[in-house]
Amino acid sequence: MTDQTDNFAALMRQSQNGDQRAYAGLLRETSRFLRPFLAKRLSFTNEVEDLLQEILISIHKARHTYDGKRAYKPWVYAIAKFRLQDYLRAHYSDQLHHAVELSELEESLPEHVTETGISYESISVEVQKLPEKQATILQLMHQEGYTAKEVAEKMGMNESAVKVAAHRAYKVLRKKLER
Amino acid sequence: MVNIEELIDTLAQDTTAVKPAPHPYLLSLKWMGWSVAYLLVSLMFMGLRPDMAIKLHEPWFVAEVMALGGIFIATSVSAALLSFPDMHQMRRLAFAPVMAFVLFVLVMFLAWQADNPPAPLPVHSFECTIGIALFSLLPTVWTLYAMRKFASTHYHWAGSTALLAAFSIGALWLRLYEINDSIMHVVEWHYLPMIAFGIAGFGLGRTFLKW
Repeated sequence: MTDQTDNFAALMRQSQNGDQRAYAGLLRETSRFLRPFLAKRLSFTNEVEDLLQEILISIHKARHTYDGKRAYKPWVYAIAKFRLQDYLRAHYSDQLHHAVELSELEESLPEHVTETGISYESISVEVQKLPEKQATILQLMHQEGYTAKEVAEKMGMNESAVKVAAHRAYKVLRKKLER
Repeated sequence: MVNIEELIDTLAQDTTAVKPAPHPYLLSLKWMGWSVAYLLVSLMFMGLRPDMAIKLHEPWFVAEVMALGGIFIATSVSAALLSFPDMHQMRRLAFAPVMAFVLFVLVMFLAWQADNPPAPLPVHSFECTIGIALFSLLPTVWTLYAMRKFASTHYHWAGSTALLAAFSIGALWLRLYEINDSIMHVVEWHYLPMIAFGIAGFGLGRTFLKW
């Protein structure tokens, strides 16, 4: 463990001296241990990858603030937590905005489906092409009749995350059906 | 979006030698040095309060000035630590201003108790706050500007401590310049506004130190 910690610190010192190979190696190792940290806290793989990219860019911007005499990981995790909090803050405020759109969507969806003859069964092929989590959520909500809260309990997610995932799925489906 | 491997390659190609940031102690020492030089130059031009020699023999005045100096030092060190993402792994020291403020409040309380009969209130009031604000403007600007070169992950607190450091030097200047012995006045028009500006620093930190 100490060896690895020393290794990170040594790689970072080399990176600060302009060693590109050491820097690439360090960023690779960093993304390796940050990925599970983010995966535990976020619902979707694409979110993890997006945020990981942001964190790597932040590490790059702040690399002059690392002091080679200190441990590397606490420095990296401080940046990662900062970016994660930023991301979640933006995500939840965005979600509040979406919550209005979603309620509007929920009001108009049954009417629209009846008028055009669209049912879950008729679009189930398209639903299956969605990412697994989104497809499962739509199936549970629209085929089996579960509420968002019940789906959240079943899938071990929070209710808001279910609504956001469903909303994203609706957007994808709407685009496909409009073609 | 590019994938992680591509991003790593791009960042690695982009990297050049960087000069590591100075230690926060050195950084805060530099900021304090500038502020003290600014204070001394201002006092040289504007002069010390005429009764300074007498005031230096009054224990509560000396205690107040020292406690205010303590706030200035603690907030400067804290601002420097808060400029680093991991607070230079000295988290506890970043909270030093809390202790400095406790000590300051205690000193002010005892000074108020000792002020019997109370010194008369001066005729002016908000002018002191304006004076402190104008004096503190320059230290505020250079501290925030210097902090932008780093990467604070606690930008609200960083902004707040930076403003407290700047305004404490402003309050110190006025205490050494103005003939005024009313504790009630200095609390109301010097120190409470100083704290209020420190609170306003939360917002300024977000505006200037977010990266």
